[in-house]
Amino acid sequence: MSGRAIVITSGKGGVGKTTATANLGVGLAKHGCKVVMVDGDIGLRNLDIIMGLENRIVYHLVDVVRGRCQVRQALVKDKRFPNLCLLPASQVDQKEAITPEQMRDLTAQLREEFDFVLIDCPAGIEQGFRNAVAGADEAIVITTPDVSPVRDADRVIGLLQNSLGDPQLIINRMSPEMVKRGDMLNQQDVLDILAVRLLGIVPEDEEVVIAGNRGAPVILNERSRSGQAYARIVRRILGEDVPIPEFNGNGSFLNRLGRFFLRR
Amino acid sequence: MSWGTLVQRLFGGKGSKEEARNRLQMVLVLDRLGLSSEQMEALRKDILETISRHIPIDSERVKIDFVHQHTPAEVVINAPVRRVRPTMEAPKQSAG
Repeated sequence: MSGRAIVITSGKGGVGKTTATANLGVGLAKHGCKVVMVDGDIGLRNLDIIMGLENRIVYHLVDVVRGRCQVRQALVKDKRFPNLCLLPASQVDQKEAITPEQMRDLTAQLREEFDFVLIDCPAGIEQGFRNAVAGADEAIVITTPDVSPVRDADRVIGLLQNSLGDPQLIINRMSPEMVKRGDMLNQQDVLDILAVRLLGIVPEDEEVVIAGNRGAPVILNERSRSGQAYARIVRRILGEDVPIPEFNGNGSFLNRLGRFFLRR
Repeated sequence: MSWGTLVQRLFGGKGSKEEARNRLQMVLVLDRLGLSSEQMEALRKDILETISRHIPIDSERVKIDFVHQHTPAEVVINAPVRRVRPTMEAPKQSAG
């Protein structure tokens, strides 16, 4: 049996790659899948702290690749979910410490044992990106509905299409209020521009910050709107047909009234 | 939202996302083609020259846009034709 290796990437930093990786990892584990999350951001590791596992790291990715330990010695088991593991990044090495070939071998080894290998990609399109993508056979691109992340997402999508084929898209931090008043690109705008398949939309939500503070991914908070959005995305990854709620409004009442009069 | 923007909106002004959308569409076509703005300017010049060899156009107002309504994107060239007054002179006979 061979699991699915999915890289979570974006080009632009700070749009929610690590948060998404953590939430998808937890969500898939909640569904009973065996999941390993690989922090591909060598030198700037963060998946550990988002997951609340920062104090339990003994070995890391570079140790494994260099043969300083076995893979299973480096895996940090999440006590909340017996079938969820983290392979942390090194905090002291550079991206060049490993090669795409080594990453491919490692991923191949991991997918023998796990249903899902989720690879959290670093920002940028240099060596770190090439490493993270090397072992994956699917990609999820994250963007927010702002001009620079969308532009960078387009670049990354182009690069991925050369190697992995069409990625799927998650639009993160969508504000329904701003979309309604026409001050934020809506899902159709982003899809028209990027021309890829939409995997889901995660609304802007303070609960994500609180979840980060606590080291407990927001998907564990079933009442939060972002947690619910991640839960729907997880079901889509597992092949369920879950509709994506619309965030588009026709604008405020006054806005519509204004347009009505101007058209006369 | 500032009061200025609010008043503008009350009277049907479009949100800033239209601007975002248009700017992104333009920049992404250039990104995807790997075209620089100098190359764009060269293209503009060439098109302008070619058209004005046949039709009098207002060279100041020639606009080149990329439209994403369909895939693949389309280049749309807007070249306003200058009005030419008809002359009373008899058309010159071409030498032959």
